[in-house]
Amino acid sequence: MISRTFFILSMACLVLPGITSAATAEAQAKLQGAVNQVLAVANSSGSKAAIATSVRPLLQRNISFETMTRRAVGPGWNTFNAAQKSKATQLFTTLVIRTYSNKFTPGQTPQIQYRTATEPAAGRVDVPTTVVYKGSRYTVTYRMEQPGWLITDVVIEGVSMIANYRSQLDATYKKGGADAVIKSLEQSVSKQS
Amino acid sequence: MKKILTLALATALLASCATPKAAVNADLASKKAKAGDKPMTVEATDALDDYGSTTKVSDPLEKLNRATFWLNDGLYTVIFRPVSKGYEKILPKFFRNSVDNVFENAKYPVRVVNCVLQGKGQRAGLETKKFFVNTVAGFGGILRVSDKVPDIADLPAEDSGQTLAKWGIGHGPYIVLPLLGPSSAREIVGLAGDYALNPPNYGLYFHGGNANHDWMLIPPPANTLRSMPDQLEKYDAATKEAVDPYISAREAFIQQRDEAAKK
Repeated sequence: MISRTFFILSMACLVLPGITSAATAEAQAKLQGAVNQVLAVANSSGSKAAIATSVRPLLQRNISFETMTRRAVGPGWNTFNAAQKSKATQLFTTLVIRTYSNKFTPGQTPQIQYRTATEPAAGRVDVPTTVVYKGSRYTVTYRMEQPGWLITDVVIEGVSMIANYRSQLDATYKKGGADAVIKSLEQSVSKQS
Repeated sequence: MKKILTLALATALLASCATPKAAVNADLASKKAKAGDKPMTVEATDALDDYGSTTKVSDPLEKLNRATFWLNDGLYTVIFRPVSKGYEKILPKFFRNSVDNVFENAKYPVRVVNCVLQGKGQRAGLETKKFFVNTVAGFGGILRVSDKVPDIADLPAEDSGQTLAKWGIGHGPYIVLPLLGPSSAREIVGLAGDYALNPPNYGLYFHGGNANHDWMLIPPPANTLRSMPDQLEKYDAATKEAVDPYISAREAFIQQRDEAAKK
């Protein structure tokens, strides 16, 4: 019995590191593919404004906007009804796509160096990258999660996009509930495009 | 007398920097979540949600801070943006990068002194290597040759605020400074330290009203001007797509400073 447990444990020791590196490799490969596609599309867009529209389908395939919205809203999310959840997700998706695509200028290709990815929890991989863009260096970490290794957060120079929105939306929720959150998202989306 | 006043002000600011309990709790919660053995916190929306409580800094002066924030926003639009655009128009990108490189290279004392104060001897050595590589091979820092040398390409910049953080001093209250924007009691003291250590400002100590040395007054405003486009870009990144630009700028500043202090 003891030897059987020992055998299972030693096999687990052999297999587990394999799983870890397989997960990080898989997530990183998926990210690299997505980033390359986004860059190609962004580069071939005629203008800065056109990028948001042209990269949208690509981003929707690689980003979990549902997870992002839920976490950006924070604890208040559970009180949202189905219609409010869907409306908030739709608005937040537009905001995230705009935030992301605003960073690109057609014709300016960033150089991206992928550093060693980590697995802080089962089903989550963080991929740190160094980006050289327009002469400046930035640290950009992509947070990716199962199922499908979708992007759930982008951390630029230590600033998490989702944590930042959460501090804003949570404060809004505490003041006026779900309706206030949706209204403030609507205002941000319609502010400028 | 001036020195005593500055010292007294710095001490008072630091004394107010006891880390707020809420921030400590949030920090503990996030550490726990990272360890993976968590019971889900009340703030979590799913098993992998480790964002925890959102606000990491106390903001007792929020009303005054918000007023200063919007005053700054107006000043950026009316004065800083046109000045910054003018600078970008007059000087082509290549030359602007060169000016940035020279000023960043000259900031070497700020980085090396703070490496030493934090006990990072090896990093201080690498900073020194970077300074010599860029000064000698990069023609006085005009070219950032260090980008091509793997061990010194990505040195995280150290400054006085990070040293105070490393010494265990919390942010204290969040403070929006007129013109300069987001800061905290601790970071204001850090800023003063950086200013004193930064060579372009040395001229101010030695000038002493001597007209022969009037040129010494040029580097500080030149430094401000050259960093303007970059600062405005950072400000826009934090506020442009925000739901509440004030909170967004505050959280971005605190997250960015906390992350820098960890490196």
